[in-house]
Amino acid sequence: MPVTVRLPGALRDAVGGDNKVSADGRTLGEIFADIERRHPGFRERVLDENGRLRTYVNVYIGEADARQSGGLDAPVPADAEVMVIPAMAGGWR
Amino acid sequence: MAIADGVRLPASVRDEIVAHAREAGGVECCGLVAGRDGAATRVIRCANVAATPAVRYRIDPREQLAAFRAMDGAGEQLFAIYHSHPATTPYPSSTDRAEAFYPDAAYILVSLRAGAPEMRAFRISSDPPGSEKTVREVALSAG
Ligand SMILES: [Zn+2]
Repeated sequence: MPVTVRLPGALRDAVGGDNKVSADGRTLGEIFADIERRHPGFRERVLDENGRLRTYVNVYIGEADARQSGGLDAPVPADAEVMVIPAMAGGWR
Repeated sequence: MAIADGVRLPASVRDEIVAHAREAGGVECCGLVAGRDGAATRVIRCANVAATPAVRYRIDPREQLAAFRAMDGAGEQLFAIYHSHPATTPYPSSTDRAEAFYPDAAYILVSLRAGAPEMRAFRISSDPPGSEKTVREVALSAG
Protein backbone atom coordinates (compact mmCIF):
# COMPACT_ATOMS: atom_id res chain seq x y z
CA MET A 1 0.00 0.00 0.00
CA PRO A 2 1.47 3.35 -0.96
CA VAL A 3 2.15 5.95 1.67
CA THR A 4 1.41 9.63 1.31
CA VAL A 5 4.40 11.95 1.21
CA ARG A 6 3.66 15.62 1.75
CA LEU A 7 6.05 18.30 0.58
CA PRO A 8 5.18 21.79 1.76
CA GLY A 9 7.12 24.64 0.19
CA ALA A 10 9.57 24.65 -2.69
CA LEU A 11 10.08 20.86 -2.81
CA ARG A 12 6.86 20.48 -4.76
CA ASP A 13 8.89 21.75 -7.74
CA ALA A 14 10.91 18.53 -7.49
CA VAL A 15 7.87 16.26 -7.86
CA GLY A 16 6.01 17.93 -10.68
CA GLY A 17 4.24 20.72 -8.80
CA ASP A 18 2.03 18.91 -6.31
CA ASN A 19 2.46 19.23 -2.53
CA LYS A 20 1.60 15.56 -2.16
CA VAL A 21 2.80 12.35 -3.80
CA SER A 22 2.23 8.71 -3.02
CA ALA A 23 5.14 6.33 -2.94
CA ASP A 24 5.95 2.72 -2.13
CA GLY A 25 8.55 1.53 0.31
CA ARG A 26 9.11 0.16 3.78
CA THR A 27 11.90 2.54 4.72
CA LEU A 28 12.44 6.22 4.11
CA GLY A 29 15.26 5.36 1.68
CA GLU A 30 12.95 3.12 -0.36
CA ILE A 31 10.28 5.81 -0.39
CA PHE A 32 12.78 8.41 -1.66
CA ALA A 33 14.10 5.96 -4.28
CA ASP A 34 10.55 5.37 -5.52
CA ILE A 35 9.93 9.11 -5.84
CA GLU A 36 13.30 9.53 -7.58
CA ARG A 37 12.32 6.93 -10.21
CA ARG A 38 9.34 9.04 -11.22
CA HIS A 39 10.87 12.45 -10.53
CA PRO A 40 14.61 12.34 -11.27
CA GLY A 41 16.46 14.96 -9.26
CA PHE A 42 14.28 14.65 -6.17
CA ARG A 43 16.92 12.84 -4.10
CA GLU A 44 19.47 15.56 -4.72
CA ARG A 45 17.07 18.15 -3.35
CA VAL A 46 16.65 16.34 -0.04
CA LEU A 47 19.94 14.45 0.39
CA ASP A 48 23.50 15.76 0.43
CA GLU A 49 26.47 14.25 -1.42
CA ASN A 50 26.95 11.77 1.43
CA GLY A 51 23.36 10.56 1.15
CA ARG A 52 22.28 12.21 4.38
CA LEU A 53 19.25 14.44 4.84
CA ARG A 54 20.16 18.01 4.00
CA THR A 55 20.38 20.25 7.04
CA TYR A 56 17.48 22.42 5.93
CA VAL A 57 15.12 19.47 5.49
CA ASN A 58 13.21 17.87 8.35
CA VAL A 59 11.38 14.61 7.79
CA TYR A 60 8.65 13.23 10.00
CA ILE A 61 7.18 9.76 9.70
CA GLY A 62 3.98 10.22 11.60
CA GLU A 63 5.28 11.92 14.75
CA ALA A 64 8.77 10.42 14.52
CA ASP A 65 11.72 12.59 13.49
CA ALA A 66 13.46 10.54 10.79
CA ARG A 67 16.90 11.81 11.91
CA GLN A 68 16.35 10.18 15.28
CA SER A 69 14.81 7.01 13.83
CA GLY A 70 17.60 5.75 11.59
CA GLY A 71 17.65 8.34 8.81
CA LEU A 72 17.08 6.64 5.47
CA ASP A 73 16.76 3.30 7.30
CA ALA A 74 13.82 4.63 9.32
CA PRO A 75 10.86 2.26 8.98
CA VAL A 76 7.74 3.62 7.31
CA PRO A 77 4.50 1.86 8.35
CA ALA A 78 1.98 1.28 5.58
CA ASP A 79 -0.49 3.78 6.98
CA ALA A 80 2.04 6.47 7.82
CA GLU A 81 2.10 9.97 6.48
CA VAL A 82 5.58 11.23 5.65
CA MET A 83 6.17 14.97 5.79
CA VAL A 84 9.28 16.46 4.22
CA ILE A 85 9.42 19.97 5.61
CA PRO A 86 11.98 22.56 4.52
CA ALA A 87 13.29 24.79 7.28
CA MET A 88 11.96 28.24 7.98
CA ALA A 89 15.07 30.12 8.90
CA GLY A 90 17.31 33.06 8.22
CA GLY A 91 19.89 35.40 9.62
CA TRP A 92 20.89 39.00 9.57
CA ARG A 93 23.78 39.00 7.05
CA MET B 1 -1.96 27.59 -4.80
CA ALA B 2 -1.05 31.01 -6.09
CA ILE B 3 -1.98 33.82 -3.77
CA ALA B 4 -2.75 37.35 -4.80
CA ASP B 5 0.30 39.49 -5.24
CA GLY B 6 -0.25 42.09 -2.54
CA VAL B 7 -0.42 41.10 1.12
CA ARG B 8 -3.37 42.27 3.12
CA LEU B 9 -3.45 41.58 6.86
CA PRO B 10 -6.30 42.04 9.30
CA ALA B 11 -5.27 44.62 11.91
CA SER B 12 -5.35 41.87 14.52
CA VAL B 13 -2.72 39.88 12.63
CA ARG B 14 -0.46 42.89 12.14
CA ASP B 15 -0.82 43.88 15.80
CA GLU B 16 -0.03 40.34 16.94
CA ILE B 17 3.17 40.20 14.88
CA VAL B 18 4.28 43.57 16.28
CA ALA B 19 3.44 42.44 19.82
CA HIS B 20 5.49 39.27 19.33
CA ALA B 21 8.44 41.31 18.05
CA ARG B 22 8.25 43.69 21.02
CA GLU B 23 8.05 40.84 23.54
CA ALA B 24 11.06 39.17 21.94
CA GLY B 25 13.07 42.34 22.51
CA GLY B 26 16.64 41.95 21.30
CA VAL B 27 16.17 38.54 19.72
CA GLU B 28 14.46 37.71 16.45
CA CYS B 29 10.91 36.46 16.85
CA CYS B 30 9.38 34.18 14.23
CA GLY B 31 6.14 32.52 13.33
CA LEU B 32 3.53 31.81 10.70
CA VAL B 33 0.39 33.43 9.41
CA ALA B 34 -2.34 30.99 8.48
CA GLY B 35 -4.78 31.82 5.71
CA ARG B 36 -7.98 30.62 4.17
CA ASP B 37 -8.93 31.11 0.51
CA GLY B 38 -6.00 33.47 0.09
CA ALA B 39 -6.88 35.67 3.07
CA ALA B 40 -4.79 35.86 6.25
CA THR B 41 -6.64 34.49 9.27
CA ARG B 42 -4.38 34.21 12.31
CA VAL B 43 -0.87 34.23 13.71
CA ILE B 44 0.83 31.07 14.92
CA ARG B 45 3.76 32.13 17.11
CA CYS B 46 6.73 29.80 16.99
CA ALA B 47 9.88 29.39 19.05
CA ASN B 48 13.16 30.60 17.59
CA VAL B 49 15.56 27.69 18.13
CA ALA B 50 18.56 29.26 16.37
CA ALA B 51 21.79 29.00 18.37
CA THR B 52 22.28 32.78 18.12
CA PRO B 53 18.71 34.15 18.16
CA ALA B 54 19.83 37.78 18.31
CA VAL B 55 21.01 37.52 14.71
CA ARG B 56 19.34 34.39 13.31
CA TYR B 57 16.01 32.67 13.36
CA ARG B 58 15.00 29.07 12.94
CA ILE B 59 11.45 28.00 13.62
CA ASP B 60 11.31 24.92 15.83
CA PRO B 61 10.73 22.08 13.31
CA ARG B 62 8.32 20.31 15.70
CA GLU B 63 6.24 23.48 15.85
CA GLN B 64 6.29 23.63 12.04
CA LEU B 65 4.91 20.09 11.92
CA ALA B 66 2.25 20.94 14.50
CA ALA B 67 1.33 24.13 12.66
CA PHE B 68 0.93 22.33 9.32
CA ARG B 69 -1.30 19.74 11.01
CA ALA B 70 -3.35 22.43 12.76
CA MET B 71 -3.80 24.40 9.53
CA ASP B 72 -4.85 21.22 7.70
CA GLY B 73 -7.36 20.43 10.41
CA ALA B 74 -8.83 23.92 10.20
CA GLY B 75 -8.95 24.02 6.40
CA GLU B 76 -6.22 26.67 6.35
CA GLN B 77 -3.05 27.06 4.33
CA LEU B 78 0.30 28.69 5.02
CA PHE B 79 -0.13 32.37 4.15
CA ALA B 80 3.08 33.94 5.41
CA ILE B 81 6.26 33.41 7.42
CA TYR B 82 7.29 36.33 9.61
CA HIS B 83 10.35 37.27 11.60
CA SER B 84 11.76 40.37 13.23
CA HIS B 85 14.97 42.30 12.82
CA PRO B 86 15.46 43.94 16.22
CA ALA B 87 18.11 46.40 15.06
CA THR B 88 18.29 46.34 11.26
CA THR B 89 16.17 47.20 8.27
CA PRO B 90 13.13 44.99 7.52
CA TYR B 91 14.61 43.67 4.29
CA PRO B 92 15.61 40.01 3.66
CA SER B 93 19.32 39.48 4.34
CA SER B 94 21.38 37.19 2.11
CA THR B 95 20.88 34.41 4.68
CA ASP B 96 17.15 35.11 4.74
CA ARG B 97 17.15 34.64 0.97
CA ALA B 98 19.36 31.56 0.96
CA GLU B 99 17.19 29.84 3.59
CA ALA B 100 13.82 30.73 2.05
CA PHE B 101 12.08 27.60 0.79
CA TYR B 102 8.46 28.71 0.61
CA PRO B 103 7.86 30.48 -2.71
CA ASP B 104 4.07 30.39 -2.23
CA ALA B 105 4.16 32.15 1.12
CA ALA B 106 4.80 35.82 1.79
CA TYR B 107 7.83 36.66 3.88
CA ILE B 108 6.91 39.38 6.35
CA LEU B 109 9.69 41.26 8.13
CA VAL B 110 9.20 43.64 11.01
CA SER B 111 11.85 45.95 12.42
CA LEU B 112 11.79 47.84 15.67
CA ARG B 113 15.05 49.69 15.05
CA ALA B 114 13.26 53.05 14.90
CA GLY B 115 10.96 52.40 17.86
CA ALA B 116 7.83 52.53 15.74
CA PRO B 117 7.42 49.18 13.95
CA GLU B 118 8.27 49.00 10.25
CA MET B 119 6.71 46.06 8.41
CA ARG B 120 7.34 44.97 4.83
CA ALA B 121 6.38 41.92 2.76
CA PHE B 122 8.30 40.01 0.10
CA ARG B 123 8.15 37.00 -2.15
CA ILE B 124 11.35 34.97 -2.29
CA SER B 125 11.68 32.38 -5.02
CA SER B 126 14.10 30.84 -7.45
CA ASP B 127 13.33 30.12 -11.07
CA PRO B 128 14.53 27.65 -12.22
CA PRO B 129 14.37 25.78 -8.90
CA GLY B 130 17.72 25.69 -7.15
CA SER B 131 19.05 28.81 -8.88
CA GLU B 132 19.84 32.12 -7.16
CA LYS B 133 16.89 33.44 -5.18
CA THR B 134 15.12 36.57 -6.20
CA VAL B 135 13.39 38.91 -3.77
CA ARG B 136 10.38 40.93 -4.81
CA GLU B 137 8.72 43.35 -2.44
CA VAL B 138 4.93 43.28 -2.53
CA ALA B 139 2.47 45.84 -1.26
CA LEU B 140 1.50 45.30 2.36
CA SER B 141 -1.67 46.71 3.80
CA ALA B 142 -3.26 46.14 7.18
CA GLY B 143 -6.57 47.04 8.72
ZN1 LIG C 1 16.00 38.28 8.64
